[in-house]
Amino acid sequence: MKHLKLGSCPDLSFWIIIYRKIVDPAKRENLPLGTWFLELGICILVLGACSFSIAQVDIYGYFEPQFSGMYYDSAFYQVNYNKLRIDLKSTAVKNIEFGANVIYLLYFGKKDWDILDFLPEHIVSTIPSEMYPYYQLTFKDTLFLDNAYARVNIRRLALTVGKQQISMGTGYFSNPTDILNTKDALDPTYEQPGHNAIRLNLYIGNRMNLMGLYTPIASDWENSGKLVRAKIGISHFDFSVSGHEYQHTSTNFYTFQQTQERRMLIGADFVGELLGLGVWGEGIYNFIEDEDDDFYEFIVGTDYTFESGLYGMLEYHRNSLGKSDYTEYNLNDWMRFFTGETKTISQDQVYGFIQYPLTDLINIGGSIIVCVSDKSVAFVPTINYSLFENVDLMLMGNFYVGDEGKTFSSSLGNGGFFRTTVYF
Amino acid sequence: MNCFTNLLKIISCAAVVLCALSISSQLYAQDMTADEIINTMTETMNPDQSQGRMKMTIMTTSGQERTFEYETFSKNQGEKSLMKYVKPTRVKDQAILMLNNADDIWVYFPRTKRVRKLATHAKKQKVEGSDFSYEDMGASNTFIDEYDAVRHNDEKKEGRQCYKIELTRKSESSASYSRIVMWVDKEYMVPLVIGYYHEDDPKLWEKQLVCSDIQLIDGIYTPMKFVMYNKLDNTHTSMEIIEVTYKVELPDNLFTEQGMQQ
Repeated sequence: MKHLKLGSCPDLSFWIIIYRKIVDPAKRENLPLGTWFLELGICILVLGACSFSIAQVDIYGYFEPQFSGMYYDSAFYQVNYNKLRIDLKSTAVKNIEFGANVIYLLYFGKKDWDILDFLPEHIVSTIPSEMYPYYQLTFKDTLFLDNAYARVNIRRLALTVGKQQISMGTGYFSNPTDILNTKDALDPTYEQPGHNAIRLNLYIGNRMNLMGLYTPIASDWENSGKLVRAKIGISHFDFSVSGHEYQHTSTNFYTFQQTQERRMLIGADFVGELLGLGVWGEGIYNFIEDEDDDFYEFIVGTDYTFESGLYGMLEYHRNSLGKSDYTEYNLNDWMRFFTGETKTISQDQVYGFIQYPLTDLINIGGSIIVCVSDKSVAFVPTINYSLFENVDLMLMGNFYVGDEGKTFSSSLGNGGFFRTTVYF
Repeated sequence: MNCFTNLLKIISCAAVVLCALSISSQLYAQDMTADEIINTMTETMNPDQSQGRMKMTIMTTSGQERTFEYETFSKNQGEKSLMKYVKPTRVKDQAILMLNNADDIWVYFPRTKRVRKLATHAKKQKVEGSDFSYEDMGASNTFIDEYDAVRHNDEKKEGRQCYKIELTRKSESSASYSRIVMWVDKEYMVPLVIGYYHEDDPKLWEKQLVCSDIQLIDGIYTPMKFVMYNKLDNTHTSMEIIEVTYKVELPDNLFTEQGMQQ
């Protein structure tokens, strides 16, 4: 549903960024001083590195126009964007890497959307009419610093400071152990936004490493995020365990009031091979301070490549925060799903993915996402074509099969997008 | 005069010794078993450590060329290897780490900063759409561990005298090819031509690798050019060594997640 609402564009991460940082600038202003200071400091470092040794700075990136369309309520709508990402990377100073990237997004087409148009009538009827304007969403052109970090490598130690991409977990469609990012199940491999953090990696031996991560999301140490993670390789398996203490913000979308709560997450993941199949899994148990609403989430998956080149993958995902009865979905469930506050609205999901190399330049395939809890299905066919050495084309559709009010309701409309990526 | 006579004696002796060595070497070579040839070839092709830069050109079915450049590092006779893409920009900084002779493969995607471990079945997948699979690129000891070798009559290939060896997959092996036929240069002990046969049909010729431009680098004979012909798809991929050295001391932490990301 959220994907349709957002013009069938699968890169949810960007919508979340827009929602949090552009559409809701108040949140941006409320970011702690430390965060801004960190960004500024790293900017200076990166720009400094660039200026003293411009010849040793790699400048690269990509231009990505995307055309998205959807049929909804017997009408065709489109929301498109042109995205330019410019990356800088320098290793001019021995053992230190500076990296940064800037993203410029220009929208065109239908930029103003009303979320209420996509919610079931029985939910809209619970919202006071004077609150309707709060459910308007506008895609605004934006320029932002997505990443800016310095990474220091000293023997088996790596310290990364600044706004950086952080990826955790072994799941493909979703990563329960990764509370910093929310993957879009329609396009799960798309890049994630950067996060302000201080990260320390200690590599012990060839297949063991420890990670400590501090994310200054609050104004003080106590309420900021702290994560420790240990990873070890045994035989053909990699295992990791993690503990993450963080502050979670919940929004009441009836009143738009926000509440903070401390959470403690204990997680583990593995990836390896069993009987010739690739297998992986990851799970968490989340303790919520001062409340009895602890929840758990896990995902398990398997994959295989056939001799013909056909690749197949299957994942099962359970989120105990999701609901098993779709008639109980309420406004908060939907809106928290839209904004990434929660990863799924339903409790059980099955994901399938296949890909076949039709030629050496064309891959065809697609995903099927089944919400087992509410018995709705999304079909997501894809075609990838490598047009030139640095030009990729991608065509993706989304077709929903489900009754109104379900996660993938056919009444939400169907659509797709055409994306060109030109790397330079 | 005495000096001249002594010099002649020394040269004569040396010539006799060299001649004897040469004859004994040829006799030894003629007596080499299939396993010995495969072992010697594997040793030659997998020096203790190496660092280089390679260029891979894929000729697609539509006649387009795709060029990739990457840095390679290997250690422990190829038991550990790391590839880092340099060009084109689309895959810049993407890295592939292979440990335990490519039994364990990890791929690092710089755009998402994610490291993904691939299972053994992924070894069949094409590397960046080329005609080389991960198994073709990474497994240094495959010929020894996964196959039984039989020596056939010597043949001339690519204008050179060669041993002809046929490898048949062991019953317990999960290697991607049921049969491999190769011609190993008698002098350089490097393969000149390798024919790969389909996983399920030992008569179905799937690929052919041709190695050429053999040069002596740091005392090791090295084919500088490889071309893999895909007989089923009618495509081919060439790889050229732009530069390589075997006199390096690579740190162990290069072959870790840390090394992939640096």
